[in-house]
Formats: sequence, structure tokens, C-alpha cells
Amino acid sequence: MMTTVHAELSDRGPSPEKERAQRDELVTSHLGLAHQLARRFSNRGESHEDLVQVASLALVKAAERFDPDREIMFSTFAAASIIGELKRHFRDRGWAVRAPRRLQELLLEIGSSADRLGQELGRTPKVSELAKAVGASEDDVLEALEAGQSYRTSSLDARDREGQSMAESLGSEDGGFGHVENHSVLSFAMEQLSPRDHSIVHMRFVEGLTQSEIAARLGVSQMQISRLLAESLRRLRVHFDMQDESAHH
Amino acid sequence: MTYREPRTSEYEVIEVSFPGSVEFVVLARFTAATIGARAGFDLDEIDDLRLAVDELSVSFGPLDGETSLRFEFFRDGDTVSVRCTREPAPGAPGESPPERDVINWQQARELSEQLLEELVTVHGREIANGRSVAWLKKQREAGKA
Repeated sequence: MMTTVHAELSDRGPSPEKERAQRDELVTSHLGLAHQLARRFSNRGESHEDLVQVASLALVKAAERFDPDREIMFSTFAAASIIGELKRHFRDRGWAVRAPRRLQELLLEIGSSADRLGQELGRTPKVSELAKAVGASEDDVLEALEAGQSYRTSSLDARDREGQSMAESLGSEDGGFGHVENHSVLSFAMEQLSPRDHSIVHMRFVEGLTQSEIAARLGVSQMQISRLLAESLRRLRVHFDMQDESAHH
Repeated sequence: MTYREPRTSEYEVIEVSFPGSVEFVVLARFTAATIGARAGFDLDEIDDLRLAVDELSVSFGPLDGETSLRFEFFRDGDTVSVRCTREPAPGAPGESPPERDVINWQQARELSEQLLEELVTVHGREIANGRSVAWLKKQREAGKA
């Protein structure tokens, strides 16, 4: 299957929809690789599920920027990308504000329970359902969710060549923002974001997907999207504030 | 923080006031999440409400600590309403300070309005008793009872 996809991608000229389907197929057929590499980084103080999320997101990025004209197998290319992202995750990981350990642990539990419950229920769970699932009070769950916003996500500031390629491919994929003219300020502001965050904000505020739907599309947890989205909006605000300050000087 | 006894079990009002600094907005977010949970919102809807509260808090300009923000949260069944009033800092009588009028701020406000459009059911701004008020209403999505 992998060879077929590779061959199809080499055959330039497919429609954007077909390109997207091919990239999705690349991701699906290499999810095992992401899991395998995540396991190699286990036992370093990070939850396995978090590592799988990081590896899966790296896989999506690798599929987005893979150039089939280069003489390299996708699996080789993806493995290097995933390992790089996992290393960055460990380098950048940290709490912007130190949350109590019990909240950190509860947040991990909530993350895995939310995904499992979401699959069981066929919808996004409510706080009461999560609280019951993890054996905590609703207040504790709410507190942990808020603390989760302090969790610094990996490669948030990444504006590397890899990411830029992803932005370019995403831009060509959806035809830009011309169809949502009333979002002009939003699309302008989004240019300040890293390609990954740009695509997430686009999915939420231009395509109108819910956080859970974005999470499902990218193969990561709703909580991870929640953190990235909140941080992205803060960055946009800071951007305008900084401009505002400069206008005063 | 003030908690008013609900008129019925389906109606609650909570007020929170704090200095207009970014580090205090967590209080409003947390209150919003709590009342959203009581309205039966799911995680997506609660996150949207928290982001919307962030946007309300900067509705009148960058948070510079020179004013106060008063948040009022109302729950009526499956609907949560939030009003954010910009008030003079304690000891500084008068109406709301003038909103900052710079080009970038206009853009920032437009951005906020575009985000709120997607995050909540309805939102708006008004002047009430000489104070600038930004408000929103979010109803639990049908079928998520």
C-alpha cells in the first residue's frame, strides 16, 4: 500500500481532494511507526499517550510536507521527523506555571478518559461524566482543566522550515481564505502563528469544526487542541498589544 | 466573589470583580467553566466559553491594570450569559475610562468579535449606566442534553 501511495504521489497533478486523501492514507498506514517510536521514548517521565500524540502529529506534518520526487522512502522521512519532534517535546516540555502534582496527574487521567469516553459515547463528554470516570469531583476536574492551560505545549514557537512547508501545503489545500472575506482580520492575524497553530485556528474559526473534531482529524486529544487553541489566541492578542504599544512610542 | 441564591434551581447568578490585569482573568475563566458545567455543557462548549470570556476581558483594550473588570455570570437552564463591565479602578470615581483608539486596537476588537461569532450563540456591546459592557450568551447545543 505504501508503495502505491508513493507512486500516486509521484504522479503530479491530482486534485486537492485526491492529494488530501493520499496524505491521509500515508498517515493511516504509518500510525504503527508513530506508536513504535513513541514507545522508544517511554519511561522518561512522560505518559505514553502524550508521546503517541506528539508522534502522530509529527506524522501528519511529515505527510503534509513529503516530497515524493525526492529519492527517499516516506517511512524513512517520517521516522526522522517523528524522532525530531519527540526530542523537541522533551526539550520544550514544561509547565509555564507549576501546577500541583495531583493536578498534573489528574490532567493526564482526564486526557485519556476524555478520549475513551468520547469514543464510547459517540460525543464529547460532559464534566460530570469525566469526573465519574476518573473518580474525582467536578470541581477537581474543572481545576485540572484550567491548570492544563498552563501546560506549555511543545514546539509552540516553532517556525522552522518543516512547519513552513506544512503551512504552504495547507494553504494550497483549502484555497486560502478568500471564501471567508469577513474573516479578513482573523486571517491576517493568523499569519503570526506557527503553521501548525495556524491550521488549528483555521479549522476552528474558519471551517467551524469543534475542538473534538479537530482532534480527531489530527489524531491528537481534545485537550491538546484546547491548549494549543487557547495559547494561539493569547499570542494573537499579544501581537496586537505589542503593535498597540509600539503605536504609542 | 458574590454568589446569589438562585431564584430556582435552574437560575443562578455569580459576580466576580478583579483588577483589569491578565493574571486575574483565570478567575473569570474558572467561574465560566463551573457554571457551564452546571448548564450541562460538554468539554468543547466549556472550552469555547472559556475562550469567549478571554475575549470579553479584552473587549475594552489591552489589560493594563488601571481599571477593574466586573463579570456577571447567569445560568438559566441550559443557557449561560456573561456580562463584562469595565469600571474605574477603586478610588477613581467616574464613568468608564475612554477606550483606547488606535488602529491596531480597532483590528484587535474586530478580531475578538470574529472569534466570539464562532464561540457563542450571540454577543454584543453596549453602554449601561455610563459603563462599557461587553456581553455574550451561549446555549447548550441541541441534542447534547
